[in-house]
Amino acid sequence: MAFLELNALTKRFGPVTAVDRISFNVEQGSFVSLLGPSGCGKTTTLQMIAGFENVTSGKITLNGRDLAGVPARHRGLGIVFQSYALFMHMTTAENVSFGLEMRGVPGAERKIRVARALDLVHLSHLSDRYPRTMSGGQRQRVALARALVIEPELLLLDEPLSNLDAKLREEMQLELRRIQREAGVTTLMVTHDQAEALALSDRVVVLEKGQVQQEAAPFDVYETPHTAFVSSFIGKSNTLPATLVSGDASGSIVECAGVRLQAGATPLAAGPVQIAIRPERIEVVDDGAVLTGKVSERVFLGNQWLLTVATPVGNLLVLRRNAGRSEADIGDTVGLAFRRVDLRILASSEAAA
Amino acid sequence: MRRNGPFAIGFMALFALFMLAPIIVVLGVSVTPTGYLEFPPSGLSLRWFRAILDNPDFIDAAINSLKLGVVSATLATLVAVPAAMAIDRRRFHGREALLAFFMSPLMVPTVVLGIAFLRFLTLIGFNGTFSGLAVCHAIIVTPFVLRLVLASLSGLDRAVEKAAVALGASDWTVFRRITMPSILSGIIGGWVLAFITSFDEVTVTIFIVNPSTTTLPVRLFSHIAQTTDPLVASVSAVAILFTVAVMLLVDRIYGLDRLLIGEGAK
Repeated sequence: MAFLELNALTKRFGPVTAVDRISFNVEQGSFVSLLGPSGCGKTTTLQMIAGFENVTSGKITLNGRDLAGVPARHRGLGIVFQSYALFMHMTTAENVSFGLEMRGVPGAERKIRVARALDLVHLSHLSDRYPRTMSGGQRQRVALARALVIEPELLLLDEPLSNLDAKLREEMQLELRRIQREAGVTTLMVTHDQAEALALSDRVVVLEKGQVQQEAAPFDVYETPHTAFVSSFIGKSNTLPATLVSGDASGSIVECAGVRLQAGATPLAAGPVQIAIRPERIEVVDDGAVLTGKVSERVFLGNQWLLTVATPVGNLLVLRRNAGRSEADIGDTVGLAFRRVDLRILASSEAAA
Repeated sequence: MRRNGPFAIGFMALFALFMLAPIIVVLGVSVTPTGYLEFPPSGLSLRWFRAILDNPDFIDAAINSLKLGVVSATLATLVAVPAAMAIDRRRFHGREALLAFFMSPLMVPTVVLGIAFLRFLTLIGFNGTFSGLAVCHAIIVTPFVLRLVLASLSGLDRAVEKAAVALGASDWTVFRRITMPSILSGIIGGWVLAFITSFDEVTVTIFIVNPSTTTLPVRLFSHIAQTTDPLVASVSAVAILFTVAVMLLVDRIYGLDRLLIGEGAK
């Protein structure tokens, strides 16, 4: 039995089904991300786990305990809100101490535990400061310390890094992971940022339209997406409609806009499918080109070049590492090649599994 | 920082003068040695301040006004805070109507209110009593408190309350420890505004006071109706000085910026 289990969890707002029979498990001590675009139901799911939103149907079990009917204040979860939701009229130490006071922890022990929590997030020197005098990153740490000090069974993070600027966000990603490991707390994070989810999590649950699209380790979600949605939402991907001509465990043949291409293995039967290939898996080659096309756009990203190449099968995004020399320019004709296993076959969206 | 040009400074000086002029005139008139209203004063005399002591009904009226202001502002706050919480948080039928109802004393002409209160208080036998007066004033000043409390509630991040709940706080604890301190500047600001409004209310009050419960503005009004001596100026001057003293005290204890602008200023 997993530590946190969601079983066919459903939430309807009138005629709208925000969360549709979501089921997944979170193992003790692991870091799981609930990833999806806005409106996919991830925040509603978090609210239901936290106890702020009623469950329409389905079951949430935490450490063998059914959470149905347990009010939010008795669930004992640590929550970090997107806005941090700090108590602005209290100092850092008072903010962190609040949850312990509510639990009736005696003053002396409270002091020790607050100090330990602030030490964990490296904020001991700011314990007497008010939140309004602190930076976004510092407030974030206060929010984390406040959530962790009560030693929650489960830590819920609601878009914890989205209010930070890009550089700080990267720093806090590493910090967040360190703090989570040190505290050893089971963590569920809600985010729309796929890079954040991939970087932080042990497992990623991809949601779309209230349904689980895929649940896997970050590497597997990226490498073997189950649906066209996952493929395009996580990382960049060229997704094209095609027809599966034949296929078996060793590989397959697809036809796309009249061009026959060799693709990876698939369990699917012949018929309409989608093919997907990541921009960084396409090589620009002089010999042995699978496709040729004309560069129609070129963007310099610093460490990489992003090319758009018009080919017989459609426009393809191609990502080239910046090796210190100039790339093919707009209007140039280039040859493109890729390994057949990198051209993945996905069920066409109507027949999504 | 951008500096203000001469035009802006001139304009602001003019504006400040416009705001301060009546106060300066009143203070000037109050120190006149003559027996009539005179500005600028021909000399310096505390004669009309001594005259206040010879007119204890002014002092009684001032005490009445203070008591009335405190009681009605407090009553209004006790009603307006829960009302504001309900209107801000709950989605119920008649929510808009309830808000309009609470705000209605602002819309109804005060003369009409005065006549209505007079009729009503006479009917239930409370006319001229302090409690009747206090309730009427509370009704008049409630909209001011409600507006300010609603404004500070709408600026409050609801996640803050959720965070407290998640940490184990009961509804009452959340209100006492989190919500109330967060909207305190709105509550105090509303109370002060209510007190001031009650303190210088004339139109309604004049209908429903009797000589024993008369308020300072009404007493001044009836004094002017009979005679025009600088006594009204000296009484007003005392009121102004009292206000300034209170403001200084509040600033010392709590900080005016914090009270008027909110938590952020310190």
